[in-house]
Amino acid sequence: GAETFHNLQELRHSASLANKVFIQRDYSEGTTCKFQTKFPSELESRIERTLFEDTVKTLNNYYAEAEKIGGQSYLEGCLACATAYLIFLCMETRYEKVLKKIAKYIQEQNEKIYAPRGLLITDPIERGMRVVSFECHAAISPIHWSQKYKFKDV
Amino acid sequence: MPSSGADTPKPSALIPVSTAACLLVGSTTLFFVFTCPWLAVTVSPAVPPCCAILFLFVMANFTMATFMDAGVLPMANEDEDKDDDFRAPLYKNVDVKGVQVRMKWCASCHFYRPPRCSHCSVCDHCVEDFDHHCPWVNNCIGRRNYRYFFLFLLSLTVHMVGVFTFGLLYVLNHMEDLWKLHCTVTLVVISISGLFFIPVLGLTGFHLYLVSRGRTTNEQVTGKFQGGVNPFTRGCCSNLEYLICSPMSPNYTERACKKPAVRVQPPFLRPEIERQIPMKVRDNGIQSSDLQNKGSSAGSVDLSNIKRLNTPPPLPPKPDHALLKSQLAALDEMGHHTKSIIPASIPTVPQLRPVLEAISRGSSPIPPEQLLKTSELQGSNKSPDLKTDSKPSPGRAKQQDPLPVQPSFPTNPVSSPLQLNSLTLNSRSLTLKHNYRHSSKSQLPAMHSEALMSNPMFSPSNVLANRSSSLSYDNLISPADPQLMAQRGGPPVGYHPHFMTLGPDGSMVQRPPPHAYSPVFLGVTRHSPQPRDPSPSMQGLTPRDPSPSLQGFIQREPSPSFQGLMPRDLAPQGITLRDLAPPGLALRDITSQSLSARELGPQGLTPQKSAAVRYDNLSKTIMASIQERRELEERERLQRLHARSQALYGPDTGVYDIPSRRSLPPDNVRPRGPTPPAYGSREFLMSTGILGYGIRSSPLSSSSTSSLTRGPKTSSSPLHSSSSSSLQSKGRSSSPAYCLPDRQAQPLPSSASTLPRMPSSSTSSASSYTSYSTIKRSSLTSSSEGKDSVSLGVLK
Repeated sequence: GAETFHNLQELRHSASLANKVFIQRDYSEGTTCKFQTKFPSELESRIERTLFEDTVKTLNNYYAEAEKIGGQSYLEGCLACATAYLIFLCMETRYEKVLKKIAKYIQEQNEKIYAPRGLLITDPIERGMRVVSFECHAAISPIHWSQKYKFKDV
Repeated sequence: MPSSGADTPKPSALIPVSTAACLLVGSTTLFFVFTCPWLAVTVSPAVPPCCAILFLFVMANFTMATFMDAGVLPMANEDEDKDDDFRAPLYKNVDVKGVQVRMKWCASCHFYRPPRCSHCSVCDHCVEDFDHHCPWVNNCIGRRNYRYFFLFLLSLTVHMVGVFTFGLLYVLNHMEDLWKLHCTVTLVVISISGLFFIPVLGLTGFHLYLVSRGRTTNEQVTGKFQGGVNPFTRGCCSNLEYLICSPMSPNYTERACKKPAVRVQPPFLRPEIERQIPMKVRDNGIQSSDLQNKGSSAGSVDLSNIKRLNTPPPLPPKPDHALLKSQLAALDEMGHHTKSIIPASIPTVPQLRPVLEAISRGSSPIPPEQLLKTSELQGSNKSPDLKTDSKPSPGRAKQQDPLPVQPSFPTNPVSSPLQLNSLTLNSRSLTLKHNYRHSSKSQLPAMHSEALMSNPMFSPSNVLANRSSSLSYDNLISPADPQLMAQRGGPPVGYHPHFMTLGPDGSMVQRPPPHAYSPVFLGVTRHSPQPRDPSPSMQGLTPRDPSPSLQGFIQREPSPSFQGLMPRDLAPQGITLRDLAPPGLALRDITSQSLSARELGPQGLTPQKSAAVRYDNLSKTIMASIQERRELEERERLQRLHARSQALYGPDTGVYDIPSRRSLPPDNVRPRGPTPPAYGSREFLMSTGILGYGIRSSPLSSSSTSSLTRGPKTSSSPLHSSSSSSLQSKGRSSSPAYCLPDRQAQPLPSSASTLPRMPSSSTSSASSYTSYSTIKRSSLTSSSEGKDSVSLGVLK
């Protein structure tokens, strides 16, 4: 009936968080920010391996770009010294810029790829860059199923 | 002074930093006021500006070292550590550039400390690349502010040299009126700078050494890499370059967490299951997946649902005959369309496509009664279907609003009477279809074909049966949703039945299947060899039809193999094998695509064989392959588990004593309380040999310290050895800087609890000052001693 459908809608929209999978850091190259690309078994049923690996590899590339020591970082350092670090008040560092790009990328990945599969990636910066967490959302709970589908015979 | 662990900066903690600041600013101001005018005149007018710039640099670095967050790692959320907190080992080994580095569990912050990270007991947080806690700036020195601290030391050294030199020059030139104000002030200034010069120079030299070796103060005093290889060093010059020029890492604790929430709607895509679903042959010869989903946890079961393909369905609700009939009627209404294959790419109305295709195959030869019976038999499938149905089908995620739960039929097991093989295949294809609704099509085909290929258990009849069952569920779940129907229809080529599918505007976007599969049933986007849209012929039917199977049968000519199976597996329905050619074609199609990857191959599935013969061969080969696959899968799972456990505990678990964290009651009791004896500090204390191994707050310490093999005696650093020897010889050592931790440990031998507070973070600068003060300046000594004890007491 209408009421069951109403419940269904509500239930459906509140897909429950069933599990969290954490992708740990890969310290094999030192303390540079890099995440393990090993595909966790808990996600095997939720997402394709290639998609997952692409995401993590892209994130790793972003972080590598942020931490790269090169021309731009030299310039930033010199400028900072020259201005007695007052430059940090007005300008955001290169790392921050890349972090914004990463946030946008993660948002986009969530919308396009992960949310349709009931997963959500959280930005690792929120956890101090220690882990990337994948939140696994459960599908509609059984209760709503039974509410909605009442067999005539039953 | 950032001290996130404390509510307010304790007044006593501010004493060193304010002293340092006052001394620095005061002396320099006096210098500028009293000495510089003469210098500008006598030596060069450039002297004061240079000194001013240098002083500005000193202050900027001092300010940054004082106020900049050192790289504080925020505490882990509860969800992250629920396993680790009580059951995981204290240490976790990780391989850094070939060197095994131990990551310790931080009881306060609830995570394994990354390499080089340490917990500061003064500030009560973990700091990345932790160097030490400097009381002179009242801040931890870590990854983010080490460069400012280092530059502060360098610039301060140069500044002190300059002040001292110019002051001395002034005094030497004004020996006659030594007691004039200017001269006196200058004398005071140069004496201050001269007194502090040696400790500062010592500290600077120490840090230059550390940078060249790529170590932190913490690592140096704990002797982590004394005997071994330091994996974190990049070479002397690269280390300097990294120190000065690396990009500033971000602040983790002050992040504005505002991001648009991403809605996670229930209908979820599911990837192709690449793993073999373990099949077990049941007593009645029907293979069923041994991952039987009991059906109660449909909403939350992910993998099990997918795996649970062939479980014999628990008794389902009775098929709704009325629904069947209505479906039939609806199908009949569609009329008979052409028999031509309707490729998925044809922009037909999605919901009509399956109907069209079904109808194109002609009416079913099966009388409705028989179909009803079949559907009843298949009703047993419904309950598993029901359960899986609760999983929203993928593909609907984004756009579907009104769509009810997609039948995650693909995972619905086939009814027991049907061969489970085909069911597996069907469910997989359904899964695929739903999964890839919105994902890139390029990936889909690969995935699907993979999935399909991996499912040797494939038989057209099963597919059909599966589809029928799923169709019923489809109807149930998404009663009148044409989009839903559409999604289920249109199998892409080969085995990507589910890929398709609905484009944003609801039109079918599929890859044209080479052969349409006998679609009858909704949700099974399996391409049938026949030019039928596998998708729900039911689309045109009223939804909520619990037994679409009936319709499926009615609507089209089932593949002969299917038909053959039907009578064989189900009660004899009177279905005769008909039209073997299309099924043969289907079979060949299916087998070539999905089975070729497996050893199953099209053996016995030559299209020319009769359907009956095909069945026999197919079933046997399928069963054989199923069993084989199951074994492989189990083996693989075991290996994975083994590998996982290995990874977690490390190969050298036996080497380290890894006490369970339960043995540390204080840690567990106060998750965020004052840090229990900082293992780091205790470790380095022990390693320096000062306290011996007596001060142990927990049995753990013995293991942890035992792993720190070296004592100060083995230290190659002269500072260290002298400090250690001095420690042992004197209560208050007067030797240089780095004995500070040791020295400070000594005054509190009784209070083991406060000892650890003496952190690894005790600054070398503090130590240098205090140690020198003992020898050189009684006043300063007393103040510093007072400071030491105060700070020691203050330290949480």
